[in-house]
Amino acid sequence: MTAGDVVERIKKNLGIPWNAQTFRDTFKAGSPETEVKGIATTFMATLDLLQRANAAGMNLVITHEPTFWSDTDTTRELEADPIYKFKVNFCAKNNMAVWRFHDHIHAHRPDLIWVGLARALGWADLASPANQRRFAIPPTTLGALAVDVKRHLNSRALRVVGDPNAKVRTAAVGMGYGMPRISSDVDVVIGGEISETGNPLDATEYCLDAAFLGQNKSQIIMGHEISEEPGMEDCANWLRTFMPEVPIQFIRAGEPFWSPKAATY
Amino acid sequence: MDIGRRRFAELTGTAILMGRPVAGQPKTVTAQQIVERIQKNVGVPWRPDSLDTFKAGDPALPLTGIATTAMATMDVLSRALKEKANLVITLEPTYFGRLDGMPAPAAGGRGQTGVSLDDPVYIAKKEFIQRNRLAIWRFTDHWRMHKPDPFAIGLAQTMAWSTYQLKDDPFRYDLPNATLGSLADDLAKRLKARAGIRVVGDPQTKVRRLTFLPGVSTLAATMKALPECDVVLAGETREWESVEYAHDTVASGQKKGLIMLGRVISEDPGMNVCAEWLKSMVPEVPVRWLPAGDPYWRPA
Repeated sequence: MTAGDVVERIKKNLGIPWNAQTFRDTFKAGSPETEVKGIATTFMATLDLLQRANAAGMNLVITHEPTFWSDTDTTRELEADPIYKFKVNFCAKNNMAVWRFHDHIHAHRPDLIWVGLARALGWADLASPANQRRFAIPPTTLGALAVDVKRHLNSRALRVVGDPNAKVRTAAVGMGYGMPRISSDVDVVIGGEISETGNPLDATEYCLDAAFLGQNKSQIIMGHEISEEPGMEDCANWLRTFMPEVPIQFIRAGEPFWSPKAATY
Repeated sequence: MDIGRRRFAELTGTAILMGRPVAGQPKTVTAQQIVERIQKNVGVPWRPDSLDTFKAGDPALPLTGIATTAMATMDVLSRALKEKANLVITLEPTYFGRLDGMPAPAAGGRGQTGVSLDDPVYIAKKEFIQRNRLAIWRFTDHWRMHKPDPFAIGLAQTMAWSTYQLKDDPFRYDLPNATLGSLADDLAKRLKARAGIRVVGDPQTKVRRLTFLPGVSTLAATMKALPECDVVLAGETREWESVEYAHDTVASGQKKGLIMLGRVISEDPGMNVCAEWLKSMVPEVPVRWLPAGDPYWRPA
């Protein structure tokens, strides 16, 4: 089975039409003719991930996010860069191919990235019937919720804004690059990655000031990887249902950063 | 351009007032006059379409004091009041986003709107500002173009790195005896960070040459800087861009690192430089720096 065959099989089982215009869901390294020994699904095809996938005998990496450090994975201006060369050579030497699965895994019904996040949070059954991104959670405090989210998602570096003693019952959750818009009917917004300021609505400053004013609004920034990696495990499970020929393994890219010991609340 | 207090006094004819207030004739200066002095002295041509405008308050307000900050949060505004500063000069927005409390563009405009003008947090902040007769003026586009770079100079002062600066380059430093771990700890301590600092790389890695990329930085900036130094110290970068590039650099066997401070704490010290700069042209009222601080915490 070639890497190209794997992609054709995915297209056939996706349940939605393939958007041929996608610049994201394409091969980023190696060729479609690559004979596949095993498939690794992951959040991001970092060099570290490629090294571990290769050691595990997986030579097709299905990655949710870019390989070459930009959403378009444009390589024209990278060709002189030593890290780019290292990564390309590593793939070539080890007969590896990398294919991105972003737009269509989100468009799949259900969105497998979303399914993974809701499962990892332990909230799969708590979504509001009217809005799957809203959760009515058992009443708690922001401090206890943050501990819970950090533990469930195995995060070292998540960040929180708001009063740890604030009561929390309703949460709006976003994944990847995004933060749900804060609104009157939500106590806490939880997102992947977001600019600290300069957005249409900055949740960070808003929640700082809300807490100062005694109004109950909070924000948790999980991290992009932390929020979208669980869904690539769901991706591996889904691939196994129609791809019996090759081993398929979910391999964590892992949270890319750590944090120095800091004062907690 | 910076000008000395004395030179300024000569230019404006205020020498008689400086340090020798005339009894019974309190010196007054308005918010608008401060803005005019900034426009004249910032050293770059003033752009009429910039973000550097009043966000709240009356420009004709006679001032009792000035506070500079990276972000005019409620906490900063209440500290300004205690310090009797009624003009707050802020680098980042006051009203939670790039529209800064302005009504959304007319229907048909693209994109999301800013904070709703009937939002309770917006209303409470606006009322606090009005009730206490504060003026808020944003100083971002032009202060970022001021030379030498105030954010680099300010961070170096806060970190006590000034003697380590590479010649004529306030963005680069050669640190003695640092590891990525010790550097991250030192930054957290001196910048009073809570949870905002995040690091890519091995804490044991020895780091000597540091490049500072304050505020938001691009992949291109990281790709230019990292090959020529041991550690890039960024304000804010994207996880799928500079973070992955630095992570891959480390995985390729190079002993390097990337530290992200967070936008506001990377910019706070540059507003201390702003306060010092303003003191040289504002003899009438006290000027203070009020750091906005690290917005984030994390459970243990």
